[in-house]
Amino acid sequence: MGLTYLLFGVHPCMQRRGVHSRMESMQKILDRFAAVAGDSLAYAREWKERTGRPVIGSFPMHFPIELAHAAGALPVIIQEADDPITDGEGAVFSFYCGYNRSVADQALKGRFNFLDAIMFSDHCVQLLGTADIVRWHAPELPILFEQPVSSLDMKWALDETRAVYEMLKKDVEELLGVTVSKEALNASITLYNRGRRLMRRLYELRIAGNVGLSARQMQHVIKSAMVMDREEHTALLEELVAQAEANPTLASNAMPVYLSGHLCQAPKLELLDLIEETGTIVVGDDLYHGYRYIASDVPETDDPVAALANWYIDKNAKVPCPTRADGDADWDDFLLRDVQRTGAEGIIVLVAKFCEPHMYYYPEIKDAFDAAGIALLKLETEHDSMPFEAFKTRVETFVEVARRKRSVAAA
Amino acid sequence: MSKLSSITTNPKISVDSTAPRMRSNRIKATRLGSVIVNDYWSDLFAAKEQGKKVIWYNGTYIPPFFHAHDVAWVHGEAWSAYLAARHHEGDAQAAGESRGYDRELCSYARTHIGQALMDKKDLQDGKIDPQSAKGLAISQLPLPDMIINAYPYCSSGQQWDEMIYRLFDKRVPIFHVNVPMLWGGRKDATYLAGSEMDEKVAYVSRQLRAMTEFMVEHTGRKYDWDRLSEVMSFIKKSAELRLEAMDMCTATPSPASFFDWIVTIAHVNFMPGTQRLVDFFEAMKAEIAGRVASGEGAVPDEKYRLFFDGMMNWNKVGWLAEKFAANNACVVAGRYTHMSFWQEPQAIDLNDPVPGMAHNYLACPNNSGAPYMIGEIDRLCDKFKIDAMVMHVSRTCRGMTNSQHLIVDSARKHDRAALFFEGDVADESFYKDELLNTRLEAMLESLDSRRAMVA
Repeated sequence: MGLTYLLFGVHPCMQRRGVHSRMESMQKILDRFAAVAGDSLAYAREWKERTGRPVIGSFPMHFPIELAHAAGALPVIIQEADDPITDGEGAVFSFYCGYNRSVADQALKGRFNFLDAIMFSDHCVQLLGTADIVRWHAPELPILFEQPVSSLDMKWALDETRAVYEMLKKDVEELLGVTVSKEALNASITLYNRGRRLMRRLYELRIAGNVGLSARQMQHVIKSAMVMDREEHTALLEELVAQAEANPTLASNAMPVYLSGHLCQAPKLELLDLIEETGTIVVGDDLYHGYRYIASDVPETDDPVAALANWYIDKNAKVPCPTRADGDADWDDFLLRDVQRTGAEGIIVLVAKFCEPHMYYYPEIKDAFDAAGIALLKLETEHDSMPFEAFKTRVETFVEVARRKRSVAAA
Repeated sequence: MSKLSSITTNPKISVDSTAPRMRSNRIKATRLGSVIVNDYWSDLFAAKEQGKKVIWYNGTYIPPFFHAHDVAWVHGEAWSAYLAARHHEGDAQAAGESRGYDRELCSYARTHIGQALMDKKDLQDGKIDPQSAKGLAISQLPLPDMIINAYPYCSSGQQWDEMIYRLFDKRVPIFHVNVPMLWGGRKDATYLAGSEMDEKVAYVSRQLRAMTEFMVEHTGRKYDWDRLSEVMSFIKKSAELRLEAMDMCTATPSPASFFDWIVTIAHVNFMPGTQRLVDFFEAMKAEIAGRVASGEGAVPDEKYRLFFDGMMNWNKVGWLAEKFAANNACVVAGRYTHMSFWQEPQAIDLNDPVPGMAHNYLACPNNSGAPYMIGEIDRLCDKFKIDAMVMHVSRTCRGMTNSQHLIVDSARKHDRAALFFEGDVADESFYKDELLNTRLEAMLESLDSRRAMVA
């Protein structure tokens, strides 16, 4: 099954000529997203040359990129690269996650030199170290950092976050020599909300089995949104969603599964393919390069900075993040609910090796799924190499276990 | 003769890996300090019997707030170090691992969480054997009435306490103090100064005051701010004496070593602020002054002066002290000992100590951007006439390992040699003795070569 299911190849309506041309149109959009996602820095460099406007890089996961957009810049979330760690080997120890090692490596290879700045607002201890490594080796590149409250359930969290975001706004304005008006920020928020809603619509169609987007393709959609000019991305999304709604596909009979984890870095495409080539179809996820990134909209109000602060505090209730302290939100509870919502029959947890927040919360997740009798498989991923053959065997076993659980439950 | 030294090619350099020959000349006053620490643990173990509420906390040195409110406190890191130093950490780490906590997680956290798991299970099952040595250590720890987290820089620390909170089924109230990083990106930024520092001091101060309200809420007692000032008067005096004593170690030979200071970490980190603490640092300072006057060194035949970077390897304190001393190398200073606790006592106004305390908490070296922190390390190395850096790559403490390549980069620019060795704070399995021996031998050889060339 797997990838042969993709792109609507089995639906009877595809036999009609008009539909076929729409399919081609959809494929072109997906190809465009894939190209941008595949080399995000090349896209950003080309955009800068074409528009003459600044590009601001950002580290995951909590920077409100609307601020940079409203200031006239292209905000680009810096991605883990695919190439092996070479120059960065002597800058970051091997017991750091692949994202951090890759970012340091890219910095030492000079790939960020065209950026006008890097801005970030996360508090991951590894990322803070990596940011310093980038600053050390590229001292001419401004790196701006303001740290929002990480304990979201403290009484002062909202007010302090608002103050931090005001400071971020000031940082952007000073850096670019512009003033970000309330209207401009609201317009950016509206645009980004529109994009998020469209991407969530694709997720709804996928859960309903009405669009045959593979996990690989869904990653391309989300990852390109982290990089691409949002007007361009949203226009393509509008077309993609319209075409998908007009051309519903038949539901797949592969086993529906849910992907969880991989916070800062995108799972390797080969791994996503492997999972879907083993008799499963991904129907839901909480990946950062997935639903986590688009789950929450920013309120559209008269006070856009306050709205961004609200977005930051509230989004944890939508998809809990293990990097935040929040006694009211439990990742395991959310996953149980979301697996049920999406109709998945099992969950595959992708843990990026050395990702500390994930390592802390994984036992909670495992216990919760064991107690609920839902099949769970943990795959630990690495930057440099992964045992794909062993993974395949484990996914196959997982599928068998999940099917047996389904049979037992049905009986 | 050790196996390693028997194969060395340079007869002048033979790294002695047979550590316990007691070549180090430790400060005798540290024995007074041991009594203070033992009394602290005894008092803690009796806290519930004395009707005291107990706070489990992690992060920076906030116990004066607890002391002033007459509650007992357990520092999670310290408890893990306590177990590790007594080689009792294994069961706790195994309990954590069996629940699924990866061994790449902070070993302090794994030990502490594992301990909580064991306590919980044993209390539920009634299976604690209070008579066994391990059982004694485990069963004596009082369970928390409150949890407080206050980590500068380390996100892992916050997640650790969230796990503790969940292990107790969210029944124990938790409070977080955010101690934000001093990135130093603004134009007016200098080391621990500028608008960013001013804003962060005010922010942390607000949270510390809110923390006292949290304690009041859960004890039902008014907070005594005068008592806090009194406690802080002892802490401030102790910190001043400690820094004055450290400054005397610019003498050659150095009268005290990093390993003398490492055993006083508990005192500046979580011991009660009392006259007794002041007396202890008075005694240390007096002994060090006496040594300076008589030319007595912490390492009798000091030949090399080293800087220790990284977290302490608590399983190996004595072992490492003897290893360096056996090679006539005095580890004079370190990031953990010389930059991390009450480094800025002058900032504390006893009439209103909170902002000065916040200032000190923010001054955690890891919490300053690398250029600022490394500038301070370089300044310390110049001050203490350091020849070379010993970088302890504490495997599961990334807050400490983050900037170590940059520290070495800067050290080399200042013509200082460096070596890395891998270990950990509380997980002995990461320590590789032979690697340290080989690298130490190579580094000392290179120092000799340089000196020969200069001569």
